[in-house]
Amino acid sequence: MQFIENLRLAITSILANKMRSILTMLGIIIGISAVIMITTIGTSIQKTLVNTFNSMGSMNYFEVYTSWNYSEEDFGLTYTDNSEDRLSVEMLNQLVEQYPEYFYLNLSDDVGSFPLNNWKKQQISVNVSSITNFENLDDFPFVRGRGINQNDGNGLKQVMNVSTLFVEQYFPAGTNPIGQTVSTEIGDFVIVGVFELPDYYVKQMYNEGQQDIDKVTPVYIPYDTARHLLEKEQEPLYYADVYYYPEQDIDMLENLLNNYFQEIYKDKPYVQIEVFNMQSELGMINTVINVITIAISVIAAISLIVGGVGVMNIMLVSITERTKEIGVRKALGARNSAILAQFVVEAILLCLIGGIIGILLGVAGGVGIGFIAKFMVNQFYPEYAGMFKITIQPSIPAMLIAVIFSILTGVFFGYYPANKAAKLNPIDALRYD
Amino acid sequence: MNKPVIQMQNVIKRYYIGQPNELQILNGISLEIHEHEFVSIVGQSGSGKSTLMNIIGALDRPTEGTYHLNGVDVSTLDDDELSYIRNQEIGFVFQTFNLISRTNALKNVEMPMMYAGLSRKKRLERAKELLALVDMSERATHQPNELSGGQKQRVAIARAMANHPSILLADEPTGALDSKTGHKIMDLFHKLHQEEGTTIILITHSSELAEETERMITISDGNIIADTGGENNAVH
Ligand SMILES: Nc1ncnc2c1ncn2[C@@H]1O[C@H](COP(=O)(O)OP(=O)(O)OP(=O)(O)O)[C@@H](O)[C@H]1O
Ligand SMILES: [Mg+2]
Repeated sequence: MQFIENLRLAITSILANKMRSILTMLGIIIGISAVIMITTIGTSIQKTLVNTFNSMGSMNYFEVYTSWNYSEEDFGLTYTDNSEDRLSVEMLNQLVEQYPEYFYLNLSDDVGSFPLNNWKKQQISVNVSSITNFENLDDFPFVRGRGINQNDGNGLKQVMNVSTLFVEQYFPAGTNPIGQTVSTEIGDFVIVGVFELPDYYVKQMYNEGQQDIDKVTPVYIPYDTARHLLEKEQEPLYYADVYYYPEQDIDMLENLLNNYFQEIYKDKPYVQIEVFNMQSELGMINTVINVITIAISVIAAISLIVGGVGVMNIMLVSITERTKEIGVRKALGARNSAILAQFVVEAILLCLIGGIIGILLGVAGGVGIGFIAKFMVNQFYPEYAGMFKITIQPSIPAMLIAVIFSILTGVFFGYYPANKAAKLNPIDALRYD
Repeated sequence: MNKPVIQMQNVIKRYYIGQPNELQILNGISLEIHEHEFVSIVGQSGSGKSTLMNIIGALDRPTEGTYHLNGVDVSTLDDDELSYIRNQEIGFVFQTFNLISRTNALKNVEMPMMYAGLSRKKRLERAKELLALVDMSERATHQPNELSGGQKQRVAIARAMANHPSILLADEPTGALDSKTGHKIMDLFHKLHQEEGTTIILITHSSELAEETERMITISDGNIIADTGGENNAVH
């Protein structure tokens, strides 16, 4: 009840000196809006990165690649790429045999681009890739048939997965592509499955307005079949993706991989296998952004102290102006605590209004900058616009902290003046003019 | 004889205690005031009337001597207890009205009840009743700066009466008003005294107004030099 009364008094007092109140709040407004704007930008960058990477497909694999250590003087001169030093399929298979609970493989390779003649004898182009497993990939939903799997490779089967776009290019409308044969330079393949191309792929690979017939479409054949047909079964690799099952400790897996390859390469100091994981890289980027955001926020928050001192100053002025009123209130029976509460509530309200205005301005500023960034990407880098999932997201925790901080600023800087008012001797206050 | 409300024994008030310019304003005042009395205090300017009034009103503590209000020794009370006494037992009426600015008449009258912790509903009910008593119902929602001096003083009197105080203390309540308006305020005090049975202590410079009261105490240089018309004195 007293609280409502105090709130009413505080509102009356703040409204009575609108201009002065706003000037008092300015420090708080600037401090809070700066913090909110920075955190909005920080969280937006993080969200954008996460969404962009997520849209590019799953990241649950390590890129494993061969890397040579050249010394300064013989950089590129004395060393010749000795294929025996490179990553081999055997190493990878053994790795998976050793840690079947953590890792699995899905090897893939570019086979090459081939021209084909369709049913109308028009020339189209396909980009052939080989892959061990083309099943259960979130980005490539199958509309017909099945994906290529390990069994196809084991049996060196000449099967193929093609896109819906390829079906349109290659067959007369209405043909059921499953079971049809496609002849290429490296052999004949039977279509066993048809998938749809994901949006990001279409946006990245094809220009707007390009004729469907001119689009080079990707097709997939089994990895082992491809190596067999190309007589490259023994050829080592430059790199490979080692997949891991979800919900694992990525740092632990990374150590495991490093140790596994270091053991194999311990006698070859000039060459090593490097391990790279997007997820842990993203985690590190996030940490860096967090640290930067917090550091800048703390610097910006220092202006809150300046704002708080402004509030304290104006509260002291306000209390001096209202000394007589305080005396009258005491004569009417107000306890010291009631006077204290009245002025603390006023200081808190002043800071809270400042804080809320600051939050609104900060969000507006952060979101505004986000939209400008989005606009610039769309304008100047339209080819990346589809890939970058720019996400503008104000930080809710930062807003809550800002509200709490404003209240604390009010309490901290309002207490001293309010206590001074509360301790006033009633007679001295009444005599004051 | 009615029961005593105020009992003072040898009350002394000094300022600048321990300093070379130490001042003794009240020189051992002994005084008894009973329920339903209407007392005026007169004396020259600077004689110590307001100082005495502040002690009676529990705004100030005596330097020496004892003061009992309704049997309670006020000199032993802490700040919160004094606030409670002021809130419940005392009603102040000031020369300069001292209404809270930017707060309408009704809210001003509600204020002592707010500090007493009364519910909104009860406060509002009583405040309306009080404004009716001082004939100010029509101005209930007016701000102090929209009221004349006499009207302000009526609101102030209504506010002083809010918590049914034992004593109404008025320090030159007509001092800032013209004599006609002053008389009307005086009539209001008479009405409260008669109809509500309120004990009233009035400081005034007007001997005319002082004559209207039952008992007149004269102060000079911090001493009571005359006390006429009261119940005790009637005994002599
Ligand atoms: N806080 C104080 N400090 C020092 N001296 C004070 C203080 N308050 C009052 N006095 C002195 O006490 C004396 C009595 O003051 P008081 O206000 O009681 O006079 P009064 O009788 O009410 O006079 P008036 O009729 O003019 O109101 C004055 O001389 C005044 O200067
Ligand atoms: Mg006086």
